[in-house]
Amino acid sequence: MIGTDLLIAARNLVRHTKRNAFLAAAIAAVTGLLVIMGALTEGIRSAMLESASTLMTGHVNVGGFYKHTSGSAAPLVVDYEKVAAQALRLVPEIDYATVRVRGFAKGVSERSSMDLGLAGVDIGKEQGFRRVVRVKEGRLDDLALPGTILLFEDQAKRLDVRVGDAITLSAPTDRGMSNTADVRVAVVAKSVGILSSWCAFLPSGTLRQLYRLNDRTTGVIQLYLRDVSKAGAVAARLRQGLSRDGWRVMEADPKPYWEKLMAKVNSEEWVGQKLDVTTWEDEVSFLGWILSAIRGLTGVLMFILLAIVVVGIVNTLAIAIRERTSEIGTLRAIGMQRRKVLWLFLLEALLLGLVGTAAGTLLGVVLSVGVNAAHVSVPESVQMFLLQRQLTMAIAGRSLLGEALFILAVTSLAAVLPSLRAARLRPVTSMHHIG
Amino acid sequence: MNAKICLAVVAFAATFAPPAVALSQKETDDLVRLVDERQRNNGDWTALCYMESKEKEKTDVVYELVYYRRSEGQRFLILFTKPKSEAGKGYLRLEKNLWNYDPGTGKWERRTERERIGGTDTRRGDLDESRLAEEYSAKWEADEKLGVYSTHRILLDVKPNVDVAYPRVRLWVDAATGNELKRQDMALSGRLMRTSYFPRWKKVYSESKGVDVWYPQELRFYDEVEKANSTLVLVRQVDPRPLSANIFTKAWLESKSR
Repeated sequence: MIGTDLLIAARNLVRHTKRNAFLAAAIAAVTGLLVIMGALTEGIRSAMLESASTLMTGHVNVGGFYKHTSGSAAPLVVDYEKVAAQALRLVPEIDYATVRVRGFAKGVSERSSMDLGLAGVDIGKEQGFRRVVRVKEGRLDDLALPGTILLFEDQAKRLDVRVGDAITLSAPTDRGMSNTADVRVAVVAKSVGILSSWCAFLPSGTLRQLYRLNDRTTGVIQLYLRDVSKAGAVAARLRQGLSRDGWRVMEADPKPYWEKLMAKVNSEEWVGQKLDVTTWEDEVSFLGWILSAIRGLTGVLMFILLAIVVVGIVNTLAIAIRERTSEIGTLRAIGMQRRKVLWLFLLEALLLGLVGTAAGTLLGVVLSVGVNAAHVSVPESVQMFLLQRQLTMAIAGRSLLGEALFILAVTSLAAVLPSLRAARLRPVTSMHHIG
Repeated sequence: MNAKICLAVVAFAATFAPPAVALSQKETDDLVRLVDERQRNNGDWTALCYMESKEKEKTDVVYELVYYRRSEGQRFLILFTKPKSEAGKGYLRLEKNLWNYDPGTGKWERRTERERIGGTDTRRGDLDESRLAEEYSAKWEADEKLGVYSTHRILLDVKPNVDVAYPRVRLWVDAATGNELKRQDMALSGRLMRTSYFPRWKKVYSESKGVDVWYPQELRFYDEVEKANSTLVLVRQVDPRPLSANIFTKAWLESKSR
């Protein structure tokens, strides 16, 4: 029965090929645009995850703050090996973990200076580092040597230094005493967006020396999961587990550690160690506005375009009903129920929407794949925000299906009102209708 | 006398001149205590200050501020009065905590005591009472000329468990007066971070102490890491008379910006 209904609906659509093709094309365009914007947002999110989880965060982080006095906090985890052992026990879904020293310093070269966020790394144990960081000058392996530093090209340009040049790092220790370290630029890496504008890397031993930290103290234990989508659940479990094991753990607060250090921790009265468990999304929450802006733009565009499509569907069906009023009257006179009339018109709109969304989804996917294959370079000024050197579209099957179903639902709903009007027509008056 | 003879005379004098007599450890400690004592008021202190900061690739910044001190409880307060954008901002030291107040946000933020005042190269300790003998162990290094002044050069190392911005300080003290003329601040790494000069000293009679109290009228700080940066502080209108009891409170500083 449904096959016959589909055939009738398809025939009705084909009878007015030009009008319906135009409407299907409009639906396809809207769907395609939604797919492309979705792929772009997902691409930026993936790039953000990849670059952030290499440069400044794990999927889940066990960091914290140590305060000698209530007014002098430092981003430190004391006795980190014990914390790490407990964290690893609590997270069976872990892929690998790294340990980093965190810090800030003023970098001063012969000609210029700038503030730098520092990460002390053991380059041999940084599994994701080589995948994301592209060397422009120097050798990444040299970062294993003490007294070296990796700068990104914007930083090297600002400081006016090249590989082999020396810079002085000046920072207060956790007790507030001034200290300096002279380091040699070992690597200049290509910029990877906004995050690389302040992150610089040096061997953890060199950073420990600058802050006068012992070997039992570090900045953060970064945990990388096999499935990053479980980060939130793992962080919650870690918070509970570490508290149970006797550690003082800060309450969940979706902000990066440096924001807490500057705005929150120093104002609190406690002293000693407190652990802080965060996810990668917490640590890059200050970049959330980029995704929000794209999502907002997509929403506005979608609203305008969908409004046009809805008006188109209502109008097309109204014309179709007007053209087929006597036909509806005849069908009703020979016994067709109102519900059946409603169903036929809805099916027509559904079929039209299905064709349009399918074509649009296909178009969006093809265009996204094409953009990826074309390796479109992103202008430098835009790289900052898109966190990509080449425009990358990421297509997720689930969101693709969601976008297509959303458009289909809207187009179908738009047909409800005119279809109801068709169903309500009285057979006698309809049969006499001339139009 | 030509130049060669002059050089020969100087070389001879240098070779056979009696070596500087080292100050004993007690004399050195006494000297550092004297440096502190001459500047200590044992009471309240108000001073109007002008602060000019020069930084490479940045616009020069000039502040007018008033700072208040009370020896009892080591109370300390700074109130910025100019420029307009900074007026009402301030720092308050309460029980070893330095608080920063911004009337724009109405918020108090706890800062480290080694905070750079207004982002300049001046620290709280530069304007506060001198506590060198309390914070550092002294060692005599040499007696030498600093321009026309005969000075004792003293090396100070921070005492254990004392938190200061610079763990090692080299001091040039005027042998005649006991005034500090030059100071070098060094980092834990030993690197020279800052050189300060105190070319002008003035005294004011303090009723609370019953004698004159000395203070540097001009403080010049030169950043030795970023060579182009410097800060000049001029101290004017010093008043050692007692202050009202409620000055060293958050409420008082907040009331000044209303």
